[in-house]
Amino acid sequence: MSSSPRPIRIAVDIGGTFTDIEVYDSRSGGSFAHKTPSTPDDPSRGLGIGLQEVAALCGFDLTDIGLLLHGTTIATNAVLERKLPKGAMITTAGFEDVLEIGRHMRQELYSLKAEPRSLLIPRQHRFGVAERVRYDGSIETPIDKKALEDLAKKLEQEGIEAIALAFLNSYANPSHEQEALEILTQSAPTVAVSASHEVSPEIREFERFSTTALNALLKPVVSKYLEQVEGRLEAIGVSASLYLVQSNGGVARPAEAARLPAKLLLSGPAGGAMAMASLAGRHGISNLVGIDMGGTSADIAVVAEGAIGQTPEGNIDGLPVRLPMIEIRTIGAGGGSIARVEGDGLRVGPESAGANPGPVCYSRGGIQPAVTDANVALARIDAPSFLGGTMRLDDSGALKAISDQVAQPLNLSLEPAAAGILEVADARMADAIRLSLFEKGADPSDFVLAPFGGAGGLHASALADALNINRIIFPSNASTLSARGILGADLRHDLARSRRLKANHGGQDETISALTEMALHLRSEAEAALIRDGVPEKDRVYEFSADMRYLGQAYELVIKWGDVSITPETVSDLVQRFHSEHLRRFAHADERDTVEIATLRLAAIGKMEAPLITNIVVDATSQLAKRGSRRIWFEGAWVNAPIYSREHLSEGARVSGPCVVEEAFTTLIIGSGWEAEMLSGGDLVAEKRYAHG
Amino acid sequence: MVDIDPIRLEVIRNALVAASEEMNISIWRTARSTVVRETLDYSTAIFDGLGNAVAQSTRIPVHLNSMSVCLEEIVSNWIPLSEWQEGDVILTNDPYAGGQHLPDFVAYKPIFRDGQRVAISATIVHHVDIGGGAPGSYFASAQEVFQEGLRLPPIKLVEAGRPNSAILDVIRRNSREPEKIGGDVAAQLAALDVGARAILRLVDRYGIATVEAAMAAVLDQSEFAMRGAISAMPNGTYTFEDFVDDDGQDAIGIKINATVIIDGDTARVDLSGSSPQVPGPVNCTLNMAKSGVYCALLMAAGGGVMANTGAYRAIEIIAEEGTIVSARPPAPVANRMATGHRIVTTVLGALAKAIPNTIPAAYYGVSYVAALSAPDTSGERRVYFEIEVGGWGGHPEADGASGFSAGFHNLANSPLEMCEALFPVTFTQYGLIPDSGGDGEHRGGLGLAREWRLDADWGVLSGNFDRFRFPPYGLNGGKPGTPGRFILTRDGKSELLPSKISGVQLKRGDKVRLDTSGGGGWGDPSRRDPKLKLADQRAGYTSSS
Repeated sequence: MSSSPRPIRIAVDIGGTFTDIEVYDSRSGGSFAHKTPSTPDDPSRGLGIGLQEVAALCGFDLTDIGLLLHGTTIATNAVLERKLPKGAMITTAGFEDVLEIGRHMRQELYSLKAEPRSLLIPRQHRFGVAERVRYDGSIETPIDKKALEDLAKKLEQEGIEAIALAFLNSYANPSHEQEALEILTQSAPTVAVSASHEVSPEIREFERFSTTALNALLKPVVSKYLEQVEGRLEAIGVSASLYLVQSNGGVARPAEAARLPAKLLLSGPAGGAMAMASLAGRHGISNLVGIDMGGTSADIAVVAEGAIGQTPEGNIDGLPVRLPMIEIRTIGAGGGSIARVEGDGLRVGPESAGANPGPVCYSRGGIQPAVTDANVALARIDAPSFLGGTMRLDDSGALKAISDQVAQPLNLSLEPAAAGILEVADARMADAIRLSLFEKGADPSDFVLAPFGGAGGLHASALADALNINRIIFPSNASTLSARGILGADLRHDLARSRRLKANHGGQDETISALTEMALHLRSEAEAALIRDGVPEKDRVYEFSADMRYLGQAYELVIKWGDVSITPETVSDLVQRFHSEHLRRFAHADERDTVEIATLRLAAIGKMEAPLITNIVVDATSQLAKRGSRRIWFEGAWVNAPIYSREHLSEGARVSGPCVVEEAFTTLIIGSGWEAEMLSGGDLVAEKRYAHG
Repeated sequence: MVDIDPIRLEVIRNALVAASEEMNISIWRTARSTVVRETLDYSTAIFDGLGNAVAQSTRIPVHLNSMSVCLEEIVSNWIPLSEWQEGDVILTNDPYAGGQHLPDFVAYKPIFRDGQRVAISATIVHHVDIGGGAPGSYFASAQEVFQEGLRLPPIKLVEAGRPNSAILDVIRRNSREPEKIGGDVAAQLAALDVGARAILRLVDRYGIATVEAAMAAVLDQSEFAMRGAISAMPNGTYTFEDFVDDDGQDAIGIKINATVIIDGDTARVDLSGSSPQVPGPVNCTLNMAKSGVYCALLMAAGGGVMANTGAYRAIEIIAEEGTIVSARPPAPVANRMATGHRIVTTVLGALAKAIPNTIPAAYYGVSYVAALSAPDTSGERRVYFEIEVGGWGGHPEADGASGFSAGFHNLANSPLEMCEALFPVTFTQYGLIPDSGGDGEHRGGLGLAREWRLDADWGVLSGNFDRFRFPPYGLNGGKPGTPGRFILTRDGKSELLPSKISGVQLKRGDKVRLDTSGGGGWGDPSRRDPKLKLADQRAGYTSSS
């Protein structure tokens, strides 16, 4: 984007507890991180307060803010807490139950009571309309317009606020949905309608219907929130351009976010993943795995060959979301994960005490020992100085809970029991990281580990040891890292068209003409979107990719194709890329086999000027980096481990494990055999010097 | 055997489960056929070096609990464990050598370190077609296993790292879908290697002795948990019977009888009194019967017991040879799943007498498998294969789930749009069937209706269903669920088809509809909460009359 005359760029990441703000001043190249309490009743209030605070702290005027990039969990929380409006679905007659039937598979094999399944729109609010499009886009039954008009009026009268419109095979021919959309807009003007061909124009009805239902129900929620935010900004005199972080790691204008709010479902964790990508770039490494470990769960994000992993489908609360998004694997392992003895075995998680009641040491009523309690018991977390001394931890409560509930039943003494809780938790996380990488055909030992979130730094050394990873980057400002990641975001639109096309072994002419037509459509749609965003031509980037498979395979690999023109040469190059990617990920490929294209995708990116951070503001009070030492349980014994204060480690400072590095909001453990160096820019990089027993 | 501390044990236990999940992902990512890729009809597991099943992926109970029985049969009567060498893959699909029916290929790979066999990775995959009298190898008229397709006794498909390409050629040559079966076998072999790599990683980190000790301890943990669950059931003898509709030929009302004897921490399950084996292909080999009994007991134990050989130690099974639950060769077995599900519902029915507040009414109790062979737009013959489910039984605490995989299997449906894009069919309905759940204080879940029209000039249909005559039972005063139906509509006239058919000729425009069973109800219907009744009517789960 053209450089703004107003010099301040701000990224905001609003979480459940804190609102994190990262400020970048393009005049000085300086950046500044700030945390302020969130205001869950109306998150825009905390945002407004935070902006006023950073303006005062940094000494700029609120009118100096040119760009405001915002990551939000508003959509995610609305779904998880079911704070959604009353919605209806209109679909092809005879298929009203597709949304409820789903895909049948269960997760709990031997349970006699079925696990709960999410259902967003109840049966009485799902309606069929006579119409039918066939798989090839031909019309079998014309749409019953009169019935649709009557239905629209009835639904509006009944107080339905959102309608999901989803017909079979609309990915192949959207004309019926388009007609219906027009009728609904006219007959029920107050109802928010989402049509499946606009939200997720891809084959597989349940996944598309589910995504459309989510989008429809989120529309009123997100529109209302955006009004609040825009009103708040206006009230405090901020006239910056506002952008929302999407699940795909790009940002979108408020109007676009309001139209496709399902694209905000991973807005929160996307910031962390983007930070991982920029961290990898900053250090010139191509393979990095980030682990964001908080109270209840750990999010794993993978940067492979320089790019953050993308997936064409994710899910929320068991519901599929068929939209391109950053690939994040979430596992139930966090500081609040509960340890218990079953039979004569020790289990840790996935049950979590969360933040409330939390671990025993929080003294909020938690009675089962959690991972954080084990960290406290072994003095890895310093109870008196937790969160800078603002929260007093009950270390004796933690000790007692571990002793009574884990150590005694297993006939262990206290320390091995506490260390065992950590070992099991770490092993589960390591297994999950290994699976995340395995799905990409990658080997953990080729990766660098980057921990963040409240608990990541405590576990990173152990995870790296378990995964045979020999380098860890502890990023600077780990507790506000997502905001930092957002700061470098670009505008991004993901567009797609589904159509089965043979990519090799004959039929090339038809394939090339079909692809050319699809590409043309996608390209003009994308260009129009970027023009609406005000992106000048020089900053527009287009990247094609294709979902491909061998004939007969049911799931596709997404193959990157770049900004190509469609020719026999580029198509055969695409087929080659598919064979090699298949070989890399699945260890076999067969060039004699027929290859199909199922979906053509186009990512349209509006480049924003990258922030050139040259100067990170740190607290200037003088204090020794080494705070002293304390007895910490390390690998089977109490050792007197040095304690360092991260803020006071100067560039080039080196520390050797075992030791502890403390920060305002988190603690880093540097394990035995690891040596860490403080780099300019504030990242602490640890390398494995020798293997330990 | 070295001692193992509980911490390391838990770490290795998780890693063993993760290894079987890696194998699971590997197959899902690489297989070719829709049976495997969309309906997910396959399973993966890790065994110890002695042949005990230790860890399983979250897949299909019927597969998972049969792989250890199959391995036992192979090493006892075919290839002794001492001949399982490094780089070998042992494979069979022979129901009379530890298998279940011919489409299911079971494959094992012994894993060696320093010349010592430390573990075995195992996969079972349902292949789309292995020949025989009907597409999909479900030949309803079969009277001998010889008519059901290619039979592979336990063989070394790979020997010392070298695949036997002649056998692979034979397999492809005998299938109506040679490319797919070739691709799916390759996926199966690749997954075995993935499992081996995961195990060797563990061995290299912790040492052979520790990994072996951990596997032994995992088995002990499961045994302990299963014995604990059985001990919690009152001692006694509990008998129940349930019926398979027919064999698709002459036999009607095929009885499964189960007597469960709870004696302290041991359960003895005696299937004596079940019907003699039948001419048609609904016979089970002993492997299926054992798998069904294990599955029922694991469920009755509350779902918390890790399924493996350790848990099985607490269970004794008696099945008379020559009966429907332990057929003698060459009885046909392709449609054995109807009987397998019935073994599960019968054992659960008996257990309901011991623990009435734990066991729900019967679920739909069959894998609804239909196969259509028809030409696609290019004139090439395609086999369309679908697997459906029905309603869960009402539970002592809640209504049954509607249209959700239950009991002995665990499969996904095929996306309608994907089927229409690949096969010459157009769907006309897919939905829940109101009133199909058995009434009760907690009603049964609803069955499903799935109907399509043939858009090609010809088609050959087969179907393998059950519960058309004997609906899923209710418990404790609850009513049974509805029976299923299979309906062919031609030129506006509808005809009910039997539950087990093959070779039915279809014409363009014919409509084929399957109604699956709802689950049985639990408890006296008059005790049903009026609010729930009203909610059901409002949603149309029940009609308002």
